[in-house]
Amino acid sequence: MKISSNGDQLVSQVLTGEVWPSLADSRGYRVGPDGQPFALPGMGGVTLGVHCGDPATGYASDHLEPGASVRHRDPAANAALQFLTCVGNPVRVETGPAAGAVGHVIGQHAYVLADFPEPVLAGIATGDSVTVTACGQGLALAGHDAIVVKNCAPELLQRMPGGSRPDGRLEVHVAARVPAEAIGAGVGMSSEYANTDLMGAYAGLGDDLSLGLESLRIGDIVALADADHRFGRAYRAGYLTIGVISTGQCMLFGHGPGPSSLLSGPAEAFHLVDDPAANLACWYHPELETAQ
Amino acid sequence: MSTRSAAPARPVSVNLLGVVEHPVLGDGPYRIDADGHPYLPAGDGGIVLGLQLGDSVFARKADHAAPGACLVHPDPAARHALAAYSCIGNQVKVRTGHAAGARGVVIGKRGEEGRVVAAFRPAELAVMRPADEVSIRACGQGCRPAGFPAGLTVLNIDPGLFAVLPMVRRPASGEGPVSVGVRCSVPSKLAGNGLGRPAVSWDLDLQLPPPEPGGGGDVLLGDFVAVTDIDARFNVGYRAGWVTVGIAVHGSSPLPGHGPGITPILTGPAGILDIRCEAAGHVGLTAQMLKLQ
Repeated sequence: MKISSNGDQLVSQVLTGEVWPSLADSRGYRVGPDGQPFALPGMGGVTLGVHCGDPATGYASDHLEPGASVRHRDPAANAALQFLTCVGNPVRVETGPAAGAVGHVIGQHAYVLADFPEPVLAGIATGDSVTVTACGQGLALAGHDAIVVKNCAPELLQRMPGGSRPDGRLEVHVAARVPAEAIGAGVGMSSEYANTDLMGAYAGLGDDLSLGLESLRIGDIVALADADHRFGRAYRAGYLTIGVISTGQCMLFGHGPGPSSLLSGPAEAFHLVDDPAANLACWYHPELETAQ
Repeated sequence: MSTRSAAPARPVSVNLLGVVEHPVLGDGPYRIDADGHPYLPAGDGGIVLGLQLGDSVFARKADHAAPGACLVHPDPAARHALAAYSCIGNQVKVRTGHAAGARGVVIGKRGEEGRVVAAFRPAELAVMRPADEVSIRACGQGCRPAGFPAGLTVLNIDPGLFAVLPMVRRPASGEGPVSVGVRCSVPSKLAGNGLGRPAVSWDLDLQLPPPEPGGGGDVLLGDFVAVTDIDARFNVGYRAGWVTVGIAVHGSSPLPGHGPGITPILTGPAGILDIRCEAAGHVGLTAQMLKLQ
């Protein structure tokens, strides 16, 4: 992105975490939109076969978290890990057969979500230790004072197309535009924690549940209408939030594929360009595949 | 499949133990409001004095303040049960403390860890303390009062309470929609915290703007409020053509994505849940209806 930022003033912090197991309870079932009981995998642990650029929905899964899901064992250290980690930060595997492999953060979902090439991911298991080099919180854009940056590594900003325009607006390429009606679970929470579930993306279920969001892909950059995520996630008419789809298929009602928040401000501060290539896969994944 | 018509299931009542909550804060006292300003949350849980059914949800400079006492349980699982089984209109009796013997009524609930909000007469509320114990005669979940059309889900309300709620009109013939008078009807995009959570144990916050200087757009505690395109049968979520009606249980909040909350009581397709917007003429749940005056 052709834009000046304070990226060179930020510090990086070395954080650790471990690939955290999927969690369930003894009753097992949860409830879908029409009352369907379900017990489906996807959240926690290591979820294989779904990466940036792949469809977000259409799986027999709930709260699909692509790649490795990471937490820290100590609650306060985990809070630091979840809040300080930004999309685009590198994640290095420290233990197990995949030790030495490097992936990148694609978002948060009460876990830090790290995508790795499939062959690397196949060698990662619950309990493996990882190192996250966290950098990005505090990032600010020169000349775009109304826009607040969230959870965004400086490198990600540089790789995104667009940038400052002569009219003073920030050009951002987005793969999809999301109406305010789609905002589900996650509204009211901190913008630096977990993500915003999007309703209206229940592929294969009733038309009355659809908001036309069934074609989202993991890693898509999306624009959320009337969403103000500067200080938490809220509805505010005339505001806009740019996010990255970091989680996929949900069966739990009121939930769905979720964007982690990246940029937020008045809608007039942005110039959106509809661009199907606006996906993390275009800026991160090819390089990763080559590096392996 | 049985050929016998299903007889209405008889409700059961359970006595639950509630403990009056003490407000809690983290190590850092501040929360951040929707405009980025730090504030210290007052009124978020515990006993709140000076606030009653019929007061504006915007009346106080407070965070999620509810008119009465918030009831919890020290065991997390018992606390979830307390929130899930307690219903609006359930009778509450104070068992310990200076107000022992006083009567209260459940007027709603709040989500997350689970809180039941109970109203009391002001003089009795004023002498209650956190940790006082109360019993709640919980009844309502699973009940289907007579005269409600199939397809309309009733939740979080004592079946006996409908008798004192003039704004809820059942079809005279037993067929046709239920008609409900509400203060206002809110589009689903203003729904906030509570989306994606189970409606039997959470409230739904509404991201409402403050009222106009003349009072237009105001919502009072106890008001019935409709939210369009929301299905609250299980979790709360978007479904085109549906309506959910709830009762305003707590006041506004500076937190982004939060606001005055409603406890859902009716949810179904708009064709069987007819909303009458009564605006300024609306009278919601009152202390008089609950015999708390």
